[in-house]
Amino acid sequence: MNGTVMQLTARGLLGRRRAALLVILPLLSLGLAGLTRWASHADVHASSVLANSFAMGTLLPLMSLLVSTGVIGAEIDDGSIVYMLAKPLKRRVILFSKLIVALAAVLVFAVIPTMLTVLIAGDEGGRLMVAYGVSAALAAVAYTAIFVTLGVVTRNAVVFGLLYALLWETVLGGYVPGIRAVSARQWALSVGERMLGTDAGPWAVTSEVGMATGLIMLTLVTVGAVYLGVRKLQTLTLSSVE
Amino acid sequence: MGPGVTGLLGPNGAGKSTLISMMGGFLPPSSGTVTLDGVPVWRNTEAYRSIGLVPETEAMYDMVTGWEFVLANAKLHGLSKPDDAARAAIEQVDMADAQDRDISGYSKGMKQRIKMATALVHDPTVLLLDEPFNGMDPRQRLHLMELLQSLAAQGRTVLFSSHILEEVEEIAGTIEVVVAGRHAASGDFRHIRKLMTERPHQYTIRSSDDRALAAAIIADGSADSVDVSSGALAVQASDFGRFVHALPRLARDREVRLLEVTPADESLESVFAYLVAR
Amino acid sequence: MADNDASQGVIHDIGFRHYDGERLGRGWIVRSLLVETFRGVFGLGRPAKAKIMPWVLIGILLAPPLVFALVAVILGLDTLPMSYTAYLPGMQFVVSLLVASRAPYCVSRDLRHGVMPLYLSRPIRRNDYVLAEFAGLALAMFAVLAAAETLLFVGALLAKLALGAQITGYLQGLFVALVLSLVLTAIGLVIAAFTPRRGLGVVAIITVLVVLSGIAAIVAALLVENGNATLGNYWGALDPFALVDGIAVLWFGVDSALGRDVALGLTGGVVFPAAAIGIVAGGIGLLMRRYRKVGVV
Repeated sequence: MNGTVMQLTARGLLGRRRAALLVILPLLSLGLAGLTRWASHADVHASSVLANSFAMGTLLPLMSLLVSTGVIGAEIDDGSIVYMLAKPLKRRVILFSKLIVALAAVLVFAVIPTMLTVLIAGDEGGRLMVAYGVSAALAAVAYTAIFVTLGVVTRNAVVFGLLYALLWETVLGGYVPGIRAVSARQWALSVGERMLGTDAGPWAVTSEVGMATGLIMLTLVTVGAVYLGVRKLQTLTLSSVE
Repeated sequence: MGPGVTGLLGPNGAGKSTLISMMGGFLPPSSGTVTLDGVPVWRNTEAYRSIGLVPETEAMYDMVTGWEFVLANAKLHGLSKPDDAARAAIEQVDMADAQDRDISGYSKGMKQRIKMATALVHDPTVLLLDEPFNGMDPRQRLHLMELLQSLAAQGRTVLFSSHILEEVEEIAGTIEVVVAGRHAASGDFRHIRKLMTERPHQYTIRSSDDRALAAAIIADGSADSVDVSSGALAVQASDFGRFVHALPRLARDREVRLLEVTPADESLESVFAYLVAR
Repeated sequence: MADNDASQGVIHDIGFRHYDGERLGRGWIVRSLLVETFRGVFGLGRPAKAKIMPWVLIGILLAPPLVFALVAVILGLDTLPMSYTAYLPGMQFVVSLLVASRAPYCVSRDLRHGVMPLYLSRPIRRNDYVLAEFAGLALAMFAVLAAAETLLFVGALLAKLALGAQITGYLQGLFVALVLSLVLTAIGLVIAAFTPRRGLGVVAIITVLVVLSGIAAIVAALLVENGNATLGNYWGALDPFALVDGIAVLWFGVDSALGRDVALGLTGGVVFPAAAIGIVAGGIGLLMRRYRKVGVV
């Protein structure tokens, strides 16, 4: 909500090394999509499996995490955020502005590549692409909110974020049924499932929860994370402990 | 603290940065309050309109130029004419030549000056500077000292921290001494010295007849000890008031001409050493 | 040097004396650096907050062996639910996270704060520093992974499983742990040395490991599907976990932990270890190159 904050944040985010990383995974995803198309002859099911497991399961969380560290984590860490905080600006304005930049970046570097992945790997009239696009966008909102807040709350945001994204969502989610219901990815997929109607099953877009539950949980988690982030930012102390 | 230049002095690790963080609203005091014109600074973002903070951390937004950074700060303050303010601030710190280079390429002194510019851009009434002279060469340091003094003369409250005594001695009217996390002393350092009555004052006296004067001082009893060994009189007096009054009288009575009377330990350095050694 | 007049100034000896004592040599420095790195991986010698992260991950890694042991005892199985060689590749996310979070600790901080000149002004060479850091991290990783394998072994003993088979399995597991530690350390340190900014290193390492695993798995799967099984399987060398899995299968004849059909015979048995050695040597080489330019004022 504040243009200058967004400008500074955006410029900080797209520093050289981080920008290189931001591009690698999406490119890999597109490459895999191409290979999948070639190997499976544009089978929609195969395309969906790729999108679900790699794009939404790995690409999206990792990109969200990478963007979140670039949007606020690094600044808090080296103390340069003091220049934004020592201003007559409400902390929530600062956080919202950063969240918008983060969300835009995740949309460009994760959600659109997800859609392209599906398109390249195999689709039927673009329906799968749209379904994944919506699901990915919703998951992106939740992930970004969670990871940005995590970056404000703790200095070890990255590892905790990775533990959540990779361990919780991917691995444990595969073994323990209960966990699958408490997963941002599942909530987001519930919408995609509903969108595809009867094609959802054959196209492997399934979710543990219904769409209503999914949307409610996504909203709750996002709002909760943002609220927590603002509160913590209002009482942020700057110390230089490593 | 009021208008003028106040020096925050203390050894490393004494808590100077902590204190400035508290004053800057980045650390809540564990007891008591820190207020600006009666309003607490903690969780009060409006206070930043009147406070200019120059933090110690070197890290800044490296990927923008000096001009862009100061301009951004001006805009973040919500100034109505950010361009003019930014230009003025950069002029004040003498960074106009380098303003279009990326901050990542600045030397340490240049970064310090840009930091000053961001703190001045919104014309604050209070300036908090954490180790501002770090990394500055002598010319830049002089420039900054003049700047701080002129700002204080305009009625602003300027606080800067340092552990280098010479810097503080030169421009600070009042000093606050912090030792090991506690407030050790406050005020003009000459007054602080006078308060240290348990430490005898030391004077160096040169006169036309040192030995006669020494004998007179000892006989008078107003000094603790007199040392004639090093070519001048070194006098230690606990009751310096009495000594200071007695000395001219003694000299006149013995017809000794006083050539030089210098307090040997009324420097900030000795005051500081006494405070820290306690 | 002119004489010092008393009126011009005089220098007093206030304690900065010349040190004439014993100076411990280069070997001692390298050893201390190694020990320091090793301890640092576990958060020892640092404040409590720094210990949380590594020990949480280590805990996650060591918990399942205990569970397996319990399961084996309770259900009276005659083999462990998961084999020694399969466990570590199976836990690849946690192991990856461990190296991703600790590798930056080893090298990024020194680079970021520019203390390399301090190190190098002592009788330690650049390559000594690199080797000491590498050894420290690799040893620490091996300690953790070996501990996991050892727990499996202990559990097996408690469940009174056949001793001979268990010992062989345990040794094979230790070998997998060793190769994995070396390869992961090489990859992790190289990436960390090029991303000194905090937080970035961790994500970068995980990203690269994910990328490698992704490329290896998908390319292999596609090639296998298209009938080019041999070539497909060779791609596994790209991913550290598939690599050690491949070595285990080819040398020890165990089942693949990743459910792949690695049937490469003699060539495979040479190529995979060669790849491992290549990665380690290449990594150390890159590190030495990176540090060649560091600290040159």
